[in-house]
Amino acid sequence: MGFWEEFIPLVLHGAVNTLWVLVISIPASVALAIALGSARVYGNAALKAVATAFVVTFRGFPLVVTLFLLFFGLADLGIYLTPYQTATLAFVLCGGSYMSEYVRGAIRSIDIGQSLAARALGMTKFQELIYIILPQAIRRALPGISNEIIYQIKYSSLAFVVGYEEIFAVSKTFISRYFMPLQVFMVDAALYLAMTTAAAYGLRALEYKLRIPGLEMSIR
Amino acid sequence: MDPVWWEYIPYILQGAIWTFTLVGGGLALGFAIGVPVAMGQKYGPTWLKAVLDVYVWFFRGTPLVVLLFLFYWGIFPVLLGIKLDALTTSVIVLGLRSGAYQSQIFRGALNSVDEGQMLAARALGMSKWQAITNIILPQALRIAIPGWTNEYAIILKDSAICFTLGVVEILTRTRYVVISTGEALGPFLFAGVLYIIFTYGGTKVFNIIYEKYHIPGLVGKGM
Amino acid sequence: MGEDEVVLRVENIHKKYKDQEVLKGVTFEVRRGETKVIAGPSGAGKSTLLRCINLLTKPDKGRVWLEGVELTNPKTNINKMRQKIGFVFQEFNLFHHLTALENVMIGLTKVKKLPKDVARKKAEEALLTVHITEDLWNKYPAQLSGGQKQRVAIARALAMDPVIILYDEPTSALDPQLVGEVLRVMEELARKGVTGLVVTHEIGFALEVADEILFMYGGKILERGPPREVVFNPKHEVTKKFFENIKRLYGGR
Ligand SMILES: Nc1ncnc2c1ncn2[C@@H]1O[C@H](COP(=O)(O)OP(=O)(O)O)[C@@H](O)[C@H]1O
Ligand SMILES: [Mg+2]
Repeated sequence: MGFWEEFIPLVLHGAVNTLWVLVISIPASVALAIALGSARVYGNAALKAVATAFVVTFRGFPLVVTLFLLFFGLADLGIYLTPYQTATLAFVLCGGSYMSEYVRGAIRSIDIGQSLAARALGMTKFQELIYIILPQAIRRALPGISNEIIYQIKYSSLAFVVGYEEIFAVSKTFISRYFMPLQVFMVDAALYLAMTTAAAYGLRALEYKLRIPGLEMSIR
Repeated sequence: MDPVWWEYIPYILQGAIWTFTLVGGGLALGFAIGVPVAMGQKYGPTWLKAVLDVYVWFFRGTPLVVLLFLFYWGIFPVLLGIKLDALTTSVIVLGLRSGAYQSQIFRGALNSVDEGQMLAARALGMSKWQAITNIILPQALRIAIPGWTNEYAIILKDSAICFTLGVVEILTRTRYVVISTGEALGPFLFAGVLYIIFTYGGTKVFNIIYEKYHIPGLVGKGM
Repeated sequence: MGEDEVVLRVENIHKKYKDQEVLKGVTFEVRRGETKVIAGPSGAGKSTLLRCINLLTKPDKGRVWLEGVELTNPKTNINKMRQKIGFVFQEFNLFHHLTALENVMIGLTKVKKLPKDVARKKAEEALLTVHITEDLWNKYPAQLSGGQKQRVAIARALAMDPVIILYDEPTSALDPQLVGEVLRVMEELARKGVTGLVVTHEIGFALEVADEILFMYGGKILERGPPREVVFNPKHEVTKKFFENIKRLYGGR
């Protein structure tokens, strides 16, 4: 078998593994971001402090460090995560923290009248958050969240550091067999470019679909 | 008995020299690339815009680790026939990639300098080039400082990825310590906290620069 | 439940912001079916007073009762009570992400927990009452004119079957040509016996439907009485000045 016949199926297998992490980690990141962002604006003092410390930590740690900590550091404590679990969890902690900044900013940018009107109707603070504030804030945060999703697609390549068999991991191993780094890593680049470009278009379409007629909402 | 990890703290801290070489080199090269790219994208001819768009798209859409390996093993030795060490390659790759990001920061800043500034400069008899360098750029560069602060934080954390080429920066050294002491939690937490400190310290410096140079009342639109 | 029943009682309300005394002891009552107008110069504390009634702002001192339930009692479930107090804001505050119909429905479905179809029917009725026709039901706030927005906001309050509706300068943010449509709706509601407490400078409205005008000045009710009395024959010089200025500003309206 030649180089291409061997490499293409292998790298596609890696791509499937990459996607398998992302389909879980991206929605979970967004959910975590909404929870953290909401807690930092609507929570009581304790909740605010905890959420803020969480965000400062996982925005501050380089993603590779978080991956190493979850995989090797937790093992010191007797907690053993698989490479797949490690990668997924690390992406959620990191991505959720970054995205939460956009959610927080968006919540704070919603004019106070929306909150007053909700409370005047008899809504509880929680109902106000769920039915009035978040639907608007999430739309506003979407461009920022989209950016972070695209980052996450690219940074998924770091899962190789804990031995997860994604695109880059299989490529790195493969060049020790066929030393054709230019071809191998250009194929990788092409795959990531395809994923990031597709995601960018998809997310743009989503933003367009969710836009509120007549209202200019995005804060880029 | 294995040595304890904290005895290696000075060794890890020395990695900061390499980390900041990567960050400083990457940011500086990125600046040298980003500003002309932004100007080309805004004021250049159509063909140039197209070329620059492809550059930005490629470097923004490809993971850093893939770029590092592509350049270290592929483009420099195979395509160009030059052998560069890991540190030089890392600085160049960080710079090329940061240039793509910084061009977007500066393009946003250029766009937010109001059209009237150009018109007023031209009305004074300045050429387009004079107007750009004397009027538009000084304002745009100031407006871009917050974006640049952000870029610093990103590139600082991304410099850790250069451990994959064996640059002896903070993370590489931390991993050596982990391997030689058999302890992972302490060293990696220490490294993580170090990055947080450097992020906040650096951000402080950029904020001081911003306070010093920003023009009262002038903020970038939509930034 | 007699016609003369007091539905809202406000007693000795005080409110301070920092060391600025905004409300210095305000007391009055509103009976079922009544429309009361509050007028007074900007900064008199009118908005603060309205917000103290449904506790969007917490008064420092004083008590508020709605249908005999003390709202200012910490044991009272204020969210439950707010359902009975309609509030119409100067800036409309329609929910940007909901259509006109959804704006009116959301309080019914999420707060009153009515089934969707029941809520929808009630919302449609309320919208028709304020003359928002079917073609506008699926429009978003940003697609409506100011007058339409404010009428939807009134419908949102009305659909909750409130005991009373509080209006805070409901026409002040409107272009002059749109004021009439909103006032007309408010007048119709007043005539139908919907209890209202209205902060407004629209003398015409006050003369037409108000049972009483409360003139506020410096955080107090300076003067009160039948609309004609207060507007044309006030006891205080400030009151006189105020209404003269209003008449000049607002023309014959
Ligand atoms: N949230 C607040 N914080 C501080 N001061 C306030 C606040 N709300 C109102 N005030 C002050 O209280 C005074 C009365 O305001 P307001 O009730 O809005 O008067 P009106 O509605 O009669 O114009 C004003 O001087 C205003 O500046
Ligand atoms: Mg007011």
